[in-house]
Amino acid sequence: MSDTFPLPSAAAPTGQPIEFTGNAREWFGIWIVNLLLSIVTIGIYSAWAKVRTKKYFYNNTRIEGRSFDYHATGGQIFKGRLIVIGAFIALQIISTLAPVLGLVLTLVLVLAFPWLILRAMMFNARMSSFSNVRFGFDGTAGQAFLLMLVYPIGVLLTLYTTFPILDRAFKRFSIQNARLGTARFAADFPLGAFYKAFFVALAWVVGVAIVSAALLGLSWGGMMGALMMADENPGMVLAYIGLLYVLFFAAFLPAAFIYQALTRNVVYNNTVLEGGHRLTSNVTAPALLWIALSNMVVVVCTLFLMLPWAQVRLARYMADHTGYVLGGSLDTFLAQAQSTGNSVGDAYADFEGMGAGLPI
Amino acid sequence: MQPDLPPLGPVHGFVYGAGASARAPAALWLLAGNWLELRSPDGTVLARLPLSAAQIDPPLGRAPRRITLPDGALFETSDHSGITAITGQTRGALLHRYEAFGPRLIAVALACLGGAFLLWRYGLDILVAIAIWATPPAVVAQMDSATLQVLDFQLAEPTNLPAPDQARIRVIFANLQAALPKDTAARQSLTLLFRDVPGLGPNAFALPGGTVVMTDAFVQEFPEDDILAGVLGHEIGHVIDQHGLKRLYRSVGTAVLIAFLAGDVGPILEDIVLEGNLLLSLSHSRAQERLADDFGLRLTAAAGYDPRGLAQFFDRIAQDYGADEGADWLSTHPSSAQRLQEINRLIETLPAP
Repeated sequence: MSDTFPLPSAAAPTGQPIEFTGNAREWFGIWIVNLLLSIVTIGIYSAWAKVRTKKYFYNNTRIEGRSFDYHATGGQIFKGRLIVIGAFIALQIISTLAPVLGLVLTLVLVLAFPWLILRAMMFNARMSSFSNVRFGFDGTAGQAFLLMLVYPIGVLLTLYTTFPILDRAFKRFSIQNARLGTARFAADFPLGAFYKAFFVALAWVVGVAIVSAALLGLSWGGMMGALMMADENPGMVLAYIGLLYVLFFAAFLPAAFIYQALTRNVVYNNTVLEGGHRLTSNVTAPALLWIALSNMVVVVCTLFLMLPWAQVRLARYMADHTGYVLGGSLDTFLAQAQSTGNSVGDAYADFEGMGAGLPI
Repeated sequence: MQPDLPPLGPVHGFVYGAGASARAPAALWLLAGNWLELRSPDGTVLARLPLSAAQIDPPLGRAPRRITLPDGALFETSDHSGITAITGQTRGALLHRYEAFGPRLIAVALACLGGAFLLWRYGLDILVAIAIWATPPAVVAQMDSATLQVLDFQLAEPTNLPAPDQARIRVIFANLQAALPKDTAARQSLTLLFRDVPGLGPNAFALPGGTVVMTDAFVQEFPEDDILAGVLGHEIGHVIDQHGLKRLYRSVGTAVLIAFLAGDVGPILEDIVLEGNLLLSLSHSRAQERLADDFGLRLTAAAGYDPRGLAQFFDRIAQDYGADEGADWLSTHPSSAQRLQEINRLIETLPAP
């Protein structure tokens, strides 16, 4: 368990760090040309831009001098997006003309949602490769259905106290079903580590709430009172809304980073690829938070022109704090015969703004 | 007969077996007749194929160049000039040249900023106009009845206004309709409905299909004909200019465009992009209110009512609610005081009755 909570000053992860060879100047050129072509084509080129973006970051991520690659084509992504947009428009029209049928279709879509995400995960895996061998993903629709629709209801009913269990189950699902060629990933994450991360994050939120309430002399009761008397004293309400924003930044944002950093380390440090290859991770919440906040300030102040720099900075930090320990030669992976798939699921995941990719 | 050119090479790199991660050092040569030859360090020929049969990945920054052989084997090299000498200009070479870091990118960056502005200012309007043109009228009409159903189910009660009041306002509405240009009136059906909606206070709103709803509280608080005409004219302006549909399509369009253009911007920034979009859409909504005010004033005057009715309305609103109004840039409507000022300015430009 000692590697679950590395000191913030921990310099390098166990084993060799992953190498990231991208740089901000080069990525800026690619990014800005992508952006211009996307604007000129009213967004159509963005499908091709997405491929180029993924390829750039994959190609520049290396282990032992071997790089990752992304193989989807812009045409595939574009077609998937067209289908999703077409389905969305059709659903809207049907919902307006025949509300009952629209409701039924929406329900069907909700039920099919896990399947779509699963397709997206499969597509992303199949389109990614390392050292000339494609990844794959073999999760089943049944598992996806339980994880994305059924268990979340249980988490709600238990007032989020079981969230670490679901989160762990989902991460196991993402990794245990993944493979590089024919080599499978094994994942066994201690549940205690997930709860530890959860409670550390929770402790941060509670701590910030107590400290800020004590410092500002504001209490929950006072806030409710202000909301009741909003008509007479709108300034008071604004003060409380301002406080909520500060609380959000001071409490929930770091808490989210704490939870994500700790669980990422648990996931990586307990993932083994067939052949005895291990991954390691020692990211820290303060570093991630600092990068995210300073990136935000720099990007906004430069009208987004420094976004490529910010992205490379984050990718470099992640690579520097992700390591690997080889169990043998990397020459032994073999591709699995695979069927070709479509990218509808991929486009759907795009729309929902979800990172349905493998946590590689 | 052309003499054979000397072989071009070697370009050093690695070869990966077909569908396998096993890799070995290898060198690529270009022989006479555009034949590629892959040799191991000891000189053994690993593969020989016509250049045209190789699938050459376009260049991408300094990332290794990749050439896939027909059987699935992969040659990878970091010798960029060497591989370009062998393959010549490949697919994607032009793109690669424009992506090179240099002063030219300043022009590209400026073009992006300008293009993004044009897209937001004009491009979206064109897309929205196309979407509106493609929307079947039946769908728009259905939007009205669906919205009314929800309103009646959740908030509204049947009107309690006395019949004479209703009749009087319907006459005003009909007069305004009669003042519309003939082709506009023929194209757009308009319906006036009264509802008792305690949650909305004195209010009136228009739905995309031409349904204008007025609350009982509005009529009770502002019974004057000129004020009723001014506000109804404003709502008719929303309908005629299709503000409801425009706003709907615009918000969907910007959401999709931002998702596509911005891509994955990373944590926190994602939220900032979305909030920024919201603020921009608010400014658009305020512009719509000004347009509807303008339209309403002209229509009211043309129908023979005093356009100062709308000014009186905002004057009273500003007195009653002015203190509660938040910052302008955070609101869907301009503040009443500001609208009053602009309405008075517009009234002066109207032709004298």
